[in-house]
Amino acid sequence: MSDSDLVDLVTAAQRGDALAMQELLGLLTPYVGKLCGPIALQDGPDATQEALIAIFRNLGRLTEPAAVFGWARTIAVRAAVRVARAASRQGVAAPLEDVPAVGDPLLASDIRDVLDRLSPEHRAVLVLRDLEGLDERTVGAVLAVPTGTVKSRLFRARTSFRKAWVR
Amino acid sequence: MNRDWPVADLDPVRRLRVLATTVPGGAVLAEGLLDAPFDLVWAVAADLEHEFPKLVRNVRSIRVVDADGERLVAEAAGYFGLRDRFDIVLRPGWCVMESGRAVGGMAAVAEGEQTRFAFFGGLRVPGSRLLARLGAPLGPGVVRRLRERVALR
Repeated sequence: MSDSDLVDLVTAAQRGDALAMQELLGLLTPYVGKLCGPIALQDGPDATQEALIAIFRNLGRLTEPAAVFGWARTIAVRAAVRVARAASRQGVAAPLEDVPAVGDPLLASDIRDVLDRLSPEHRAVLVLRDLEGLDERTVGAVLAVPTGTVKSRLFRARTSFRKAWVR
Repeated sequence: MNRDWPVADLDPVRRLRVLATTVPGGAVLAEGLLDAPFDLVWAVAADLEHEFPKLVRNVRSIRVVDADGERLVAEAAGYFGLRDRFDIVLRPGWCVMESGRAVGGMAAVAEGEQTRFAFFGGLRVPGSRLLARLGAPLGPGVVRRLRERVALR
């Protein structure tokens, strides 16, 4: 979809056009699910649903339709942290001694295990920095925390992931 | 490595919850688990011209007047002489329709040998969401009648 088509679609959805809303829902759901999955883990579908409801309820406040994905990202990540917190399944964020090394075939399945042991806030930092490629300042803005907090969370999370996360 | 991150999926029924909750005129959503496979349930639900008027009581008839892939245009006649032209998106497990006065949708997803089905409908007039909550909800009757229609096949 071109940028102008996206702007037209978002604008129509902002007017309450149900067909435009369902099409935008189809575009945003995989993206929101990609963000909420690693943060909310087993509560990912609940977080995705809650995030999408918040996104569409507030769509009228979006002033730059072209920026809909970045705007939705902030809502989604915060919703995922909130849902994961409420579910009280946050990990202890303790240093991990048994994380597989880079290239270890166990790593694919163990990423989920590693995420499980981190707090939702740590997982959110990882998702924004490593999955979304945002810099620390932007990560701080999305999560509404100081950059120093982002750095310390990243340090701890990266220690847990060891070399798998070294850039 | 990105492919190894867990991804949350939202099935069509849950997507319909989002739409029903947020679309202007959207009303209370009704859901039910039908003891029939998805293909059978959706064959009935998606048969707009023959089955939809049997499911939704205030629709007397529907005639599809244009079709382009999953996009349809249909003329609906209600009781008391009401007529409306609906723009529709229809694909397996998902249907959303809207006119100037009304909005609605259906979704279905397989759950083992059963099928979860959801329906919402509402009028695009001020206060319709509140009225739908105060009055007799439309949705449960649709789910019940769909269950009956599926059992006939």
